[in-house]
Amino acid sequence: MRRQDHSATADSDIVIELCGVGKMFRQRQRSERLSDVFRNLFHPTIKEVHALRDISMQIHRGEIVAYAGPNGAGKSTTVKLCSGMLAPDTGTVRVLGFDPMRERVRFVGSIGVVFGQRTELWSEHPVAASFEWKRVVWDIPRERYDRMLGFVKEVLGLDEFFQTLVRELSLGQRMRADLGLALLHEPDILFLDEPTLGLDVLAKRNILQFIKEINRERRMTVMVTSHDMAELEQLAGRIVLVDKGRLAYDGDFVRLRREFADRRSLTLETETPVAPVLLGAEHLSSEANRHEYAFDATQVSISALLQQAAEQTRLLDVETHRGQIDNVIADIYERWQKENNPLSVPGVENPRH
Amino acid sequence: MAAETRLTAFPVRILRLWWVYTRLNLLTLTRDLNSFVIWTISDIITNVTAVMGMLFLATRFQGIGVWSLAQTVFMLGYAALVDGVSALFFNYNVLYISRRIGRGQMDHLLIQPQPLWMSLLTEGFAPAYAVPMLVPGFIMVWWASVRLTHPVSLPAFALSLTASMIVLISYQFLWGSLAFAAPRAAEEINTSTLELMSQLKQYPLNGAGGLLRFGLVTALPVGFLAWIPCRALLGMDTSALSLWKTPCAALVLSLLATIAFRKGMQTYAKTGSQRYSGFGHRN
Repeated sequence: MRRQDHSATADSDIVIELCGVGKMFRQRQRSERLSDVFRNLFHPTIKEVHALRDISMQIHRGEIVAYAGPNGAGKSTTVKLCSGMLAPDTGTVRVLGFDPMRERVRFVGSIGVVFGQRTELWSEHPVAASFEWKRVVWDIPRERYDRMLGFVKEVLGLDEFFQTLVRELSLGQRMRADLGLALLHEPDILFLDEPTLGLDVLAKRNILQFIKEINRERRMTVMVTSHDMAELEQLAGRIVLVDKGRLAYDGDFVRLRREFADRRSLTLETETPVAPVLLGAEHLSSEANRHEYAFDATQVSISALLQQAAEQTRLLDVETHRGQIDNVIADIYERWQKENNPLSVPGVENPRH
Repeated sequence: MAAETRLTAFPVRILRLWWVYTRLNLLTLTRDLNSFVIWTISDIITNVTAVMGMLFLATRFQGIGVWSLAQTVFMLGYAALVDGVSALFFNYNVLYISRRIGRGQMDHLLIQPQPLWMSLLTEGFAPAYAVPMLVPGFIMVWWASVRLTHPVSLPAFALSLTASMIVLISYQFLWGSLAFAAPRAAEEINTSTLELMSQLKQYPLNGAGGLLRFGLVTALPVGFLAWIPCRALLGMDTSALSLWKTPCAALVLSLLATIAFRKGMQTYAKTGSQRYSGFGHRN
């Protein structure tokens, strides 16, 4: 198969471009009442679910983009749109200069797709058989196949289970094999949908290291969806948040913390067991002379809090920690649920693209 | 120029793909001696017993109706071969396409850099699985052929067998396409349609009434899987176009199946699959 001529892209540095993309699904609503049997059969209520609404964004070559959002936000739909499995209802999707749906056959040779809960491996065969199968179906030239096989075997440590039946692999091993398989044809873009779902800490760390490495060494563009925000923060420089199909945030994690809520914890060790009263901080607990507080660093500075504390008692020790990104995101999701309109959150009226 | 390249490249590519699937299929079957022996023997027994009822009847009465014993055995062998050839080319749930559609497994085919028809034509190639079906079929056809008074033309036989297989796979795709509209409800529809066709195809339809016979060559085109082609091959149907009835039916049905499947794929592109199950995928 011929490699894609990237000059097809208007701006060759932009590899993924979504312009006003909308996707709507219809869901049948069924009544549980027996009296509604005929209505359910012949005149069911149809609910329109907007998986994506007017999504516009661009991803540049070599970026790792975290694509996140609550359940049902439209993450997998976006991955499917970008990999040619779904057609948008409105707007346009261009990936590497291709329309993924109309030019599917030529296009898919340039991308790799991994869905965390699916596998491309042949379960009744050793891992090696699936790799050989991929070489033929993807028509990978022998030189490239050998080179990439050597690379993925080394970096993902596939040798230890390369001749093992796929159905006998652990989840972590299977995911490593699936990742290696997705990279054999040396794609320009890698789409990863929940690649670490169900993996243990060590397996997760290995996968994350690998993704970073292929991005750094091969300048491969990676679009990754996950529920694990700490993992996404480790991995990606940029995060795109979607909620109810709308683009709610597009930028880096630092700005995300700053614009939404930079929750931090403060622990004070004082001379007396009485906890100082700090304006702008929430007192969480006290144990002997140690007092814990939570505060939003965008609203009040640490120095102001310490000054308040020092005025009330003698400080023996001070500790401060940034809040977990998961908590930050959970706060954002909670706020969206209450407001029911992500775009009304201050600071995100103008997504990056 | 590009079109020429594609035309020459496609057959070579299909042969390469068939070869890789042959390897996978052989490796599955020969992963250990116990599995290999048990699989082969049980499959032969299953396929032989499937035609035993008719065979016993034909032997007891020296034929069925106007069909002599040799003619009946020929038809049973032909029917077994249709099953065998279909299993040879369309295994791994291609013949049961409703399962793939209903389980959301079409996505796996859509990320392959080749036309969908090529994936469907090659991914189900499983010669090792088909052998236990083909062997009894060949034995019956050979046994009957040496006893028949009317010689059977080999090219006509090959044409009819191919056409019958196309009728079967088209019928499966025609019904299987319903799974695009109702993934859960129609997931197993091809199990029922194939069972119906398999059970009925070995019976000579001479005894059936006009309306029933019409139904069995139209709505349920089971007549084209053995009865009509065998009548033509054995010289029992002397009309000028007797040999072309099955290929014509194959053409019409494959056209209808293509339309239904393409329409379904258009729906799939719009709605995707609302569910996914990896059950039966690449086993």
